[in-house]
This record gives sequence, C-alpha cells and structure tokens, in this order.
Amino acid sequence: MTPYLRAGIILLCLLPIVATAQNPTPLIIEAALDLKIFTPLLEAFEQAHPDIALTYYDRSTLEVNQRAQNADPAPDVVISSAMPWQMALVNQGLAQPLDSDAARNWPAWAKWRNEVFGFTFEPIVTVYRLELARHMMPPTTHADVHKLLSTHQDLLRGRVTTYSPTGSGIGLMLFQQDARYSPRFWDLVAAMGAADMSLENNTQAMLDGLTDGPYWLGYNLLGSYALQWARSHPELIVQIPQDYALVMMRMAFVHRNAPHAEAAKTFMNFLLGAEGQRVLAGDTPLFSVLPEVTGPYTAQRLRDQIGERLYPIPINASLLAFDDPLRRRLFMQRWAREIEILKP
Amino acid sequence: MIVIDGTLKQRLAGWLLAAVGLLGTFLLIEAYTSAQRAAGRAYDSQLQAASLTIAEAVQWQDGEPIVEIPAAALQILATDHQERVFYTLLNAAGQQITGNLNRAMAKSLGDAFSTNPMWKFAQNRGVRIRLYGRELRSAGWESSEPVQIWVGHTMSGREALAKELFLGTLTRFLAMVALTALLSILAIRMALQPVRRLRRTLLQRKANDVSPVGAQVPGELYELVETLNVLFERQRQGRNTLLRFTADASHQLKTPLAGLQSVSELALLSNKPEDWRQALQTVHDSSERTSRLAGQLLSLARLRHGTGEIHARLNLTDLLRETVMEWAERDTAQNHDLGLAVMPDSPLVISGEPWSLREMIGNLIDNALLYTPAGSEITLGLKQSAGLITLSIQDSGSGVSNALLERLHQPFERGGRQDTAGSGLGLAIVDSIAQAHNATLQMRSEPSQGLWIGVQFPVLSSTQQHSQSEQT
Repeated sequence: MTPYLRAGIILLCLLPIVATAQNPTPLIIEAALDLKIFTPLLEAFEQAHPDIALTYYDRSTLEVNQRAQNADPAPDVVISSAMPWQMALVNQGLAQPLDSDAARNWPAWAKWRNEVFGFTFEPIVTVYRLELARHMMPPTTHADVHKLLSTHQDLLRGRVTTYSPTGSGIGLMLFQQDARYSPRFWDLVAAMGAADMSLENNTQAMLDGLTDGPYWLGYNLLGSYALQWARSHPELIVQIPQDYALVMMRMAFVHRNAPHAEAAKTFMNFLLGAEGQRVLAGDTPLFSVLPEVTGPYTAQRLRDQIGERLYPIPINASLLAFDDPLRRRLFMQRWAREIEILKP
Repeated sequence: MIVIDGTLKQRLAGWLLAAVGLLGTFLLIEAYTSAQRAAGRAYDSQLQAASLTIAEAVQWQDGEPIVEIPAAALQILATDHQERVFYTLLNAAGQQITGNLNRAMAKSLGDAFSTNPMWKFAQNRGVRIRLYGRELRSAGWESSEPVQIWVGHTMSGREALAKELFLGTLTRFLAMVALTALLSILAIRMALQPVRRLRRTLLQRKANDVSPVGAQVPGELYELVETLNVLFERQRQGRNTLLRFTADASHQLKTPLAGLQSVSELALLSNKPEDWRQALQTVHDSSERTSRLAGQLLSLARLRHGTGEIHARLNLTDLLRETVMEWAERDTAQNHDLGLAVMPDSPLVISGEPWSLREMIGNLIDNALLYTPAGSEITLGLKQSAGLITLSIQDSGSGVSNALLERLHQPFERGGRQDTAGSGLGLAIVDSIAQAHNATLQMRSEPSQGLWIGVQFPVLSSTQQHSQSEQT
C-alpha cells in the first residue's frame, strides 16, 4: 500500500452530514499526509462546518509540490511534510497570509510570515524488530546504530532500511539535517551502504518491511506513523534516539490562487485552532504543537518525556538551503560516494 | 475713522503658523527621506553579510565552482522580518550555477553586471525586491573564473523600519508644534503686554490732563508715545494760548468799561449840562473804541478758529487799490499821507478770500494810522518776484526795536506803545489771515525809516490755478 496507490480521490463530501447543506462551498486540499491518520480531524471539520464540501487528495510529497505549482485551478490548501519544498513555494509567493486569532496565537517557531504553519510535531525514530534485540543491544542513539552496523555487518546485511533520498522529499531532508548536525553521519551512511541497506519511499513501506520481513532495523522513520503502527504490531519497537531526535512538522498554507480562499482559511483556522489541535492530540499520532492543548499526543508531553534532545527542524528561511539544487546535487554526489566506500 | 484690520495676535499667530508649517514641511520631507535612507542602510548591510557568507562557501572542484549554500546566509537574508529571500550564483558566462531566482531574471542580472558591487531594485512576481550583486574571485586548482553572487529580499522590513523611524519623528514633531503653539500664545501675550499697559495708562488719564505720557514701553511703541506727547504738547499750548487770549481780551474790555463807569459817575455828580454833554461825548467815543475792539476780537477769534473757507481766485491789484481808496476817504486817514506805490501792469492773481484780505489790508492801514504821528507817510505796494507776490506797507514813523519785532504779531502787543487807541490786535489779525492764505508775514524796521511790513503770498502754479478754478 504505497502513497501512489492511495492517491485516489477520497470524497469526504459524500458523508451524509454534508448532504444537508444547500450549496456547500467546495474546498480542495492537496496533502502529503496519510488520510487514514488524518481522518479524525477531517471528520471533526466536516461536523463543525457542514457548509463546506471538503475534497482531500492524499498524494506523495513530489506530487503535492508539483500540483501546488502547476495545477489549474490551484488547490485551496497545500499540506506537505517536505518542509524545504513547502518553504520554497511560500518563498515564491504562492501562499497567502492568514490573518486570524488562531494564526496570531500560533507559536512563532512553527510558522513563517503568517503564511505557512507547521501544525504537527512528529519525532523521527528508529524502529527495530524484537529479533534484533535477541542478537545485540538494541540501538538508542545514532552512534549505536553506527556501531551495530559496524559490528554486526553480516547479520544485518539486507535487513536495514531507510528513506530513499531520491524517492522522497522527507528522506532527503532528514539526511541533510543529520549531515548538518554531525559529520559522523557519513560514517553511518557508509556503514549502511556496506550493510546493503534497502531504500524505501515512505514510512509505511518500511513498516511493512519490518513487519513482514525482511527488515530488522529501520532508520529515520516518521514517529507518527511508526508509533501508531507499533500499537498493533508488538514485535516492533519504536526508539526515539536518545542523543538527538529530529522533529518534522507538516506544513500547511492557503494557496495564493485558492479558488475558495474563504473556505480554505476556515479550514486553516480550524486546524490551528484549539479544537483542531485537540483532535490532533487526542485522535491522531501527529502531536499537537500548541502548548495548552492536552492529550496523549502533544509536543509538550513529548518534550517532558524526551527532554531537550528534540530538535524540531526550524521553519525559517534556512530551510531553503536544503532545497538549493546545487547543494542537493552535492549531497547526492557525496551520498553516492559514501555508500560505496565500505562495500566489500 | 478707525478701521480694525485684524489683531496683532492674529497676525503674530498667522506668521508663526506659516513659519512653523513651512519649516515643518521641509523637516518632514527630510525626515521621510532620511528614514528611508537609514532603513535602507540597515537592511543593505544584511544583504552584504549574507553575500559574504555565501562567498565563503564557494569552492572549486573539477573546474567548476561549487557551493553548499549556507543555511545561515539565507537566515540572515530573511532578517527578523521574515522577508522572502532570493539568491543566485552565476558563472563567468552568466549562467546560473544555482539559486532560486527564475532563469530570465538571473540572466538579466548577469548581463547587467560589471565588476563593481551593484545594488538594484527589481520586480519579482509583482513584489519589489532589493538585490545586491558582487563578483567573487577565488582560487581553484584548474581554473579561477569570477563568480557573481546575487542576493536579495523583499522590502517589508525596510518599509516597516522606515515607517517606524518616520512616525517617531512625526510624533516628536507634532509634540514640538503643540509646545510651540503653547509657548507662542504665551510669547504673544507677553509681547503685547506693553500695548495693554499703555492703553490702560491712556484710559486712566483725566480729560484735561495734557501732561506728557510717562510709560515704560518697548522701542516699537516709543514713536507712538512720542507722537502722542507731541499732540498733548500742542493741545497744552493751544489751551494756554486760548486762556491767555481770553484773559487779555477780558482785560482789554475791562479798561474802557472802567473808564466809562468813572466818566458816567463823575457826570452824575455834576449838575451842569455842559459836564453831562462832555461826559456823553467821552462815553460815545469810548464805546465806539470798545465796539471796534470787540469787532476785532470777534474777527480774530473767527480767523483763529480756522473754518477753512473755500478760496477763490482774485486779483490782488484791484483789491488793494479799492481798499486803499476806501480808507483814504475815511476821517481817520485825513491826518496822514496814505497812498499807493507804483503798481505792476499785469493783474496779480492769488487764491484767497476777498473779505479777509480786505480786513487784513484794513488792519495794516489802521495799524499804521494809529502808531505813526500825524503827517506821516503810509505807502502800500505790490510786487512780484520769483515765486512770491509781496504786499507791503511802509510808514515813515518812528519804527520798532528789533527785539519787539518778533512779538509784534501776538495779540495785544502794542510795540511798547501805550499812547495810542490801538488794541494790539491788528497785527495778530493780519498774521492769522496771512497764515490762512499760506502767506508769511515779514517785518523790518530801520531806525530812521519807520516800519516795513510785507505779506508774501505764493504765486499760483498752473495746476493749482486749474484745481482751484475747478473747486470754485
């Protein structure tokens, strides 16, 4: 079940509650966010605003990025986890500012220009099978992963998976962040290359591989998906790295050319408002950003558990550097080089 | 008639307002441009810093410039104001190495570039942006071509800062204006206080107070007060003259009346009809003189009053001749040799009032008759010289001393002589009439030649003649 297969059109407006509205305003959302996970919020929105007929397209980050730039008519709301791309779109002027209480109350570190808002707080995690723990000390830090790969090279060969930097915007971003924090990341890449790692385009594919084989160890998975998956798959252990844990935020903005700008703003206000965030914190594993919201999934609770080792990827102009074509090319060149270095 | 032409307060306030307004306009224009400049400078330096940070990251590899765009550079570019950021790196051929500017714009930047750093304003997707471009030469193993680094950002931060700076200045300026207005009101009140004080001083004066005004006034009001004092002085002199005249007139009338009383008392004591007749004769003569005195007093008062009668053009030659002829026939002139000197051929025309001129000539003759001994010669003449017509009278009497000449035209001045029936008003009347005709009275006295009196009339100019004739 890949995002490409799931990218079908899901018309939530078919829900009976919408049928009662006389002339519902349409609202088109293009999102790189698993519908299955996001459904509670969409349903809550439908209930709160029966006059808006919401159409939600669940696509890959790549597709969302392209549609945001080229689709005619443009989508109303664009949601994606590929943070640099979202940032680049906003920097191009493709977003319109949101002037509302919810937008003003939103923490400054999770928004830019009042145009784009990071509305989730998803830690990046390492996931391993219980079998791995039987053979070795399970990894708790990035260094541990590197050490395991170096010391148990033969055992782990073909059993390590991570994001493909070419096939996924999130994957590339996460690796770039890793490389930013420590030059030893490249040792890890070399070690993973030596272990003949498998590259997947999304977290779900990695989770499937971990559940059904052949993977034992997954590196840089989206914690939101992994935590929910692990609840029904007890053989998988989700480990939030103890040295540093990147935190990814889904970014949403109202498109500059949104045909239904009012409905789009209504949705954004709902999403950023206390009600939407309560749904996120209570019914989805996306973690609410707002400090005052309570529930099992809140950034505050995560901070209380993990402490200061959470490193949210900042939503500011520095994100644009990771979208620089030359920097990306150089990164990929190095990736290609490093991944071969330790191969036998 | 007094026309109120605004108030000094309004004038002062108006000019102050105009000055402050004009000054303020310049000041605000200056403040606006300098706010723009200051904001521009502050943000331009951010562009420079970002450009420098990117330049630091440029390296050469396989003959190609490579750069790992530093995240910090973009963060600097964005500034606290979260500007949208733009950057591009161009190689020596003007091709984009990397960047997020669209191709067309990057190309136009590359084409326009010279080796010196450049600042530019440009439109990018309908938004004004500020761009900074510089050339970087860095060393490489294979080649070292220059690289152009362009950085830019939107301008909301500049605009906000400029607005903040300008509003700050504006607020301070408005506060200053308010303060200035307040102080101006105070200043105007203070400056105009002497005027109010002077007005109070003048109002408090008594109606008959003609003493000079003593007040502490600023220089600008000095002239006004000085003029007032001159007016008061003239008023005082006029009053004094009037009082003296009245006193003198009463005295002059009292003397003959006292004589009449004593003559009539003496006559009443006598039983002789001859005495009565003689007394009656005396009373008759005396009352005649007194009546003449009263007539002269009346005409002097009338002349002094200056009713400003309209003057007509008249021929002075004829008038003089007629008057002298009339006087020559009178009884009083029978003991004197009254005559006319050689008269000019052409008629001499002046502007004047016939009645008063006749009165003046009469008084001159009467005066000469009264103050010269019988048999004296009295000659009247008329002469025209440059710009002046002189009517003169010359007697062959004993003359007057030079010290007395000066006072001769004052009322009741008899030239030190108490032996005549003259009232001392004759020459005063002459003087008044001469003044009314813009003429001047001149007197000369040589010890052996008697007294010469001349009245010099101005000759009518042609325009005067014209205007005078129109008035009549």
